[in-house]
Amino acid sequence: MIKVEHLSKTFGPVTVLKDITVEINRGEVVAIIGPSGTGKSTFLRCLNLLEMPSSGSIHVNGVDILDRKTDVAKIRQKMNMVFQSFNLFSHLSALDNLTLGPVRLLGMSRAEARSRGMEFLRMVGLAEKWRHFPDELSGGQKQRVAIARCLAMNPDVILFDEPTSALDPTTVSEVLAVIRRLTSEGMTIAIVTHEMAFARDVANRVLYMDQGLIYEEGTPQQIFENPQKERTKAFIDRVRSFSYRISSPDYDLYAMNAEIEAFCQKQILPIHTRQTLLLLIEELLQIYPPYLGSAVLDLTIAHSEKKASLEVMVESTGAPANPLESGEQPDDMGLSIIRNLSDRIEYSRVGNKNRLTVLMKRM
Amino acid sequence: MEFQTRKEANATIVTITGRLDAVTTPDYETRVRALIAGGDKCLIMDFAQLDYISSAGLRGLLVTAKLLKASGGAIRFANVGGNVKSVFDMSGFVSMFPIDDSVAIAIGALA
Repeated sequence: MIKVEHLSKTFGPVTVLKDITVEINRGEVVAIIGPSGTGKSTFLRCLNLLEMPSSGSIHVNGVDILDRKTDVAKIRQKMNMVFQSFNLFSHLSALDNLTLGPVRLLGMSRAEARSRGMEFLRMVGLAEKWRHFPDELSGGQKQRVAIARCLAMNPDVILFDEPTSALDPTTVSEVLAVIRRLTSEGMTIAIVTHEMAFARDVANRVLYMDQGLIYEEGTPQQIFENPQKERTKAFIDRVRSFSYRISSPDYDLYAMNAEIEAFCQKQILPIHTRQTLLLLIEELLQIYPPYLGSAVLDLTIAHSEKKASLEVMVESTGAPANPLESGEQPDDMGLSIIRNLSDRIEYSRVGNKNRLTVLMKRM
Repeated sequence: MEFQTRKEANATIVTITGRLDAVTTPDYETRVRALIAGGDKCLIMDFAQLDYISSAGLRGLLVTAKLLKASGGAIRFANVGGNVKSVFDMSGFVSMFPIDDSVAIAIGALA
């Protein structure tokens, strides 16, 4: 369907894409992952001719889209794009954002465009918001309108350029749910994303881009579970972490919980896992009140997508002592809960700090 | 955390909504102490709306049970499910206190 050969793109002296050769077949869902600044978005923009490639060729259904005679507007209509920043018309209602393209570019009647527009808004769960202007919608809702607008143009392919990167973590899942639905309906999709769990779940094929190249490609299983090349391994194995410092016995548990929940949502951790993590952390922190007047606690949560593991580390200043063995807890209930929620608990003295590392049980 | 009470038969049904954790348990304790000081002796803790409990919340419940025992009263738990049930299991609460599937059953047991 899409055949890219030896594509390169330079911006002045900077070469962003070096030599991209890849095919995307009809009905495929291709996830493009990789570190920031490695040309993923530029690659998508070249496919849609929002950037003109410096060299190489792109054929869509056998048509050379870099040929000067090619109708670029038609290409963009068939290979529509959803942007990180929504790009909705702020002076138009949600429905009018959807009808503008079909009326002006597809020659559709206004009545038909509105009728179809409502169908697409319904499909993304926003039919009741049809009168609303973009400023009246949340980030997730705006992105869903942008997806509906994209669908209203009857595209053969949808290119998603980091569609959830600009969203509040609480709204990421609603957008991913809509994209997930499209993937299950056979739409051809190329998606640049940092949502690794999502990519692993919905993609047929994963392209790992690095240094301006498709450095490695394969099935989600190959790329996420058995990457062959060094840089892919380093990227997949990286651990994402969250840190929080507590320096007072009167710390705000709920403010901390809200930040932890946002981190968990960003990692697309299930609600049950989030709740278990919050319980484990509350119980761990209950151990420390005897120290909190004089010590500073540094809490770190590390999530490894590859291992599907969550590790909680609490470092505290003060004299060497394992907080779990302080004997200052009023009873064993907290310890019992911690042990039940953990696969491994380790104490170590690192520099001038007591470090407690807890590997949370997979629940 | 919301704390609501109602009387049914000879029991006081205490419905807790939300969270019983290190932040909310002191408030829970204040309210339940006032209840017991006011003469309520048979409490049924309805946890159908309780989303979360930690060991701090369990300690609050233990205080409740001790106060009731001292005053010759009784406590039963109803509608303990989900995460709350898991914490009850982990902490051994399930073997320490009577837990019923519904408030009606708990009322019947106290009769």
